[in-house]
Amino acid sequence: MATVTIDGIACTAQAGETILEVARRNGVWIPTLCHHAALEPYAACRICVVEIDRGGWWQVVTACNYPIRGDLTVRVESERARQDRRGVMQLLLARCPDSPELRQLAARMGVAATPYPKVTEAQRNCILCGLCVRVCEEKIGASAIALVGRGVERSVAAPFRMASEDCIGCGACAAVCPVGTIVVRTHEQEVEISPFKTRVRLRRCVACGRPLGSELTGEVLSRRGGPTVVEILANEPLCSRCKRADLAKHLSAAAPGNGSGRLAPDAIIIRRH
Amino acid sequence: MSTVVTRLQSPEDLRQFCEQVLARRDPAARSVRVCLGTGCTAKGSPKIFERFRQAAAELGREDIVVQTKCTGCHGFCERGPIVVVDPGNVFYPGVKDEDVPEIWRETVLGGRVVERLLYHDETGAAARTPDEIPFYHAQHRIVLALNGVIDPTNIEDYLAAGGYAALAKVLSSMTPDEVIEEVARSGLRGRGGGGFPTGRKWRSARRASGEPKYTIANGDEGDPGAFMDRSLMEGAPHAVIEGMIIGAYTIGSSQGYIYVRNEYPLAVKHLGIAIQQAREIGLLGDDILGSGFRFDVRINRGAGAFVCGESTALMASLEGRVGEPRAKYIHTVESGLGGKPSLLNNVETWANVPQIILRGASWFASLGTEKSKGTKVFSLVGKVKNTGLVEVPMGMTLRQIVYQIGGGIRDGKPFKAVQTGGPSGGCIPAQCLDEPVDFDRLTELGSMMGSGGMIVMDDETCMPSVAKYFLQFLKEESCGKCTPCREGIAQMLDILTRITRGEGRPGDVETLSGLGQLLEDTALCALGKTAAYPVLSTVRYFRGEYEEHIDRKRCPAKVCPGLFRYVIDKETCRGCGLCAKKCPVEGITGERKQPHVIDQVKCINCGTCFEVCPFSGVVKI
Amino acid sequence: MSTVSGIIERYAADPGMLIPMMQDLQAEHGYLPQTELKELASRLCVPLARIYGVATFYASFRLVPKGDHTVQLCLGTVCFLKGAGKISEALQREFQLVPGGTSPDGKFTFSPVNCVGACALAPVMVVDGQYYGGMAVDSALELLGKIAAGDKPAEPVKARERKRAVRGRKRA
Repeated sequence: MATVTIDGIACTAQAGETILEVARRNGVWIPTLCHHAALEPYAACRICVVEIDRGGWWQVVTACNYPIRGDLTVRVESERARQDRRGVMQLLLARCPDSPELRQLAARMGVAATPYPKVTEAQRNCILCGLCVRVCEEKIGASAIALVGRGVERSVAAPFRMASEDCIGCGACAAVCPVGTIVVRTHEQEVEISPFKTRVRLRRCVACGRPLGSELTGEVLSRRGGPTVVEILANEPLCSRCKRADLAKHLSAAAPGNGSGRLAPDAIIIRRH
Repeated sequence: MSTVVTRLQSPEDLRQFCEQVLARRDPAARSVRVCLGTGCTAKGSPKIFERFRQAAAELGREDIVVQTKCTGCHGFCERGPIVVVDPGNVFYPGVKDEDVPEIWRETVLGGRVVERLLYHDETGAAARTPDEIPFYHAQHRIVLALNGVIDPTNIEDYLAAGGYAALAKVLSSMTPDEVIEEVARSGLRGRGGGGFPTGRKWRSARRASGEPKYTIANGDEGDPGAFMDRSLMEGAPHAVIEGMIIGAYTIGSSQGYIYVRNEYPLAVKHLGIAIQQAREIGLLGDDILGSGFRFDVRINRGAGAFVCGESTALMASLEGRVGEPRAKYIHTVESGLGGKPSLLNNVETWANVPQIILRGASWFASLGTEKSKGTKVFSLVGKVKNTGLVEVPMGMTLRQIVYQIGGGIRDGKPFKAVQTGGPSGGCIPAQCLDEPVDFDRLTELGSMMGSGGMIVMDDETCMPSVAKYFLQFLKEESCGKCTPCREGIAQMLDILTRITRGEGRPGDVETLSGLGQLLEDTALCALGKTAAYPVLSTVRYFRGEYEEHIDRKRCPAKVCPGLFRYVIDKETCRGCGLCAKKCPVEGITGERKQPHVIDQVKCINCGTCFEVCPFSGVVKI
Repeated sequence: MSTVSGIIERYAADPGMLIPMMQDLQAEHGYLPQTELKELASRLCVPLARIYGVATFYASFRLVPKGDHTVQLCLGTVCFLKGAGKISEALQREFQLVPGGTSPDGKFTFSPVNCVGACALAPVMVVDGQYYGGMAVDSALELLGKIAAGDKPAEPVKARERKRAVRGRKRA
């Protein structure tokens, strides 16, 4: 347990928490872009920087991954921290001028425009936050895409910039993209994900045939840790409705008054898949 | 190469083995030492070595035995190939193939010096031994003491020179805490650029909990212009290994890594041989010298990424990942490679350790300044007369280094600046020449020590171009993870490119300063945080030059194409017509044997006429 | 046993040794072939995307075949200040080279590198592993021309003399 004082407000914190977690719990707003509660912090975008008191000097740190290990004094709304965050946003706006979501965040931060020109022709509208890559690796378990190259010409792509052979078409990448760059188009049998040039057959519930992608994605994104979508799919690809129906049958089959105490036949058929 | 290999089982074994090795050697014996470091090899020293070796083999005399030995880099690469003859330590620089028979006959066999092949200074005075050469005389070689003396591929040479005695002392008579205390008292600070107190780092690593613990040597020397670590790893690899074993012992680590950049194949090779020989003899592996302590090390090569010189990026690389740094809010001594406690030091830092153990912390602390102890190896390059590796006590002034050791500026040009610390450092101007070189002072001056690069510049250097060069370098080497470094460097480069093209705008310098501050505050790692230093330091000391470029579209150093002019000096021009012939835009006219004229409208500033004129008749204004 | 299996075994299938494995693979083939990388991913149980990310991050990895000769031009600070930039431009023009790429006739693969540690010999070119110091535009063009024609120069080119200090010396 520790006391974290944020802009004069004393907040309690558990060991292992980050400044961002403490701030959010106490209603202090710090902008973020590459942060997602279900994922390991990456601290790449640098939009969440704040100042901490080092006793004699103030250090600028990223709130999303700074670990609380004792009492700490934090300044979110200091002149320096504000200026730094705005500076980062200005650089991002120069890279990514067409995203309404980014502009919205910028406006909230008090950044109307950027003084910087566009200095790269690499991947349109991508802020290289890495969320798509990280979600695909950590939560989906497919690792279909990667950060390719290095430096300002870096981009996100599937191996060899061709269609991915590992993509399962769940659309998690599009769901987490903060600037709306990734687009998923659903067709009858397939889903198409641009800009990764990938068309993948939809994964479906083995019982009723409903597409499973977004439901499972939503589930894994609501928690840290736990099995990945690929791991879930490997075991029992049922949609939640069919899972509930299966469970209900199982429970009613075992209830007294059913005679045998054995499982009903159609319950067994479903589980075999 | 060593002959019979017996595995040493105790410090006493080691001592006896060293005695035997020394007994087999005659200090008065004749020997020819030929440098096969990368620099001399590039100039043909392998052939020269082969000729001496053959001559020795064919000598066929019972009464005279000549040993031929290849050594590592002396650090005076510009004067290579270097051959040294014993007895007498007679130093021959710039040896050519055809000089070999004379050296053999006169010096090796006859004991006479070949005057004309000795080093001569500007007055014509000859130096017989390295100590008589100004370049070496003012140096204080501890880390590089064995370079050029021992054969790095023969462990016996290292042993004969007192190698591994420090390890024996540690394992037989010192506890880990005593070793750490000694290193801490010595005042040794990291030699890779960070300057972090080494003893403190070891103490933290010792206290860290978690198994296994790793010991890592950073040999990724990426600063352009720096080759200290290359020479050290090539010329005295065992010094690094011995330091690592001692460090590993203090923290309880049994697995080590030496990360060597890919572009240093000879260093990789010599380290590999050294490790193999150390293993054979029992100085690496299980139960080292009977102490029960186990340690082994492997070499991992870099794959072409400057950012992997950063400790967390290096560790990511060792994990088979891209070299992306991570936050150091939790230090790598607590959670490093694979999340385990890891002790990482630069190879030069490791190489200092055996000497500190043998000669004592007080001895080390007697060298250098109050907060920067010991010596530092610098690579003194650029427009100085003597370029090469220079090891001096901390606190020597820039003037002493540049003029006493470096011999001053080439071609009689004026000194303009010395760039220290590589892409993370800055340019220091003439008014600071009497400043002492140590960690803190260089930082106060707006530069930093970095890994030890010292690039001397004369008045033909354009400072905005220097800043632009470093930004171009960093732009290519940035990993791209964090916004400020990835975008900020590209933006700064864009501005510098405009400035050096004569497209600078008012406010550019302020924008650069603002970006510099933003990067220093918000970048994830030291690459990004210090990326603006070359720009900021040149703005600090050479602001006028920036203003010339921006306001008057002029490059005072006459470097930036289009921002100065080439004209033909009427007095000097002989009218040979060569420039006109070579001009790519046919912009030079003139009658034969009459002074020619450059059409300033057509001129594209390519500089061809300037390069080809045999009479230096084209001048820059 | 295929190359990939052998390489994996050499490093005890440790995924942390991915980079040395890829270095060995490249040493075998001269570059990193797609099929081999796919095999590496599947045998080592490392996602192909991660391997591709590593292959494109580090400058020494090539995903396209090499030319007959490798030409590395050092663009380190000292070499740069001594004119390596001009040499780079001249070579690219003359032999149709692209940084990191191979010439159309397959003869040369051209890699500008950031410092080879031979700064005292600037400007430095490393051709097929052989170091050449004191290069200039004309000597660099001459060197590659000789190699392209199949005559390998006998020795590394000697360092050029400092012309500017010498007046009246005729040059061809």
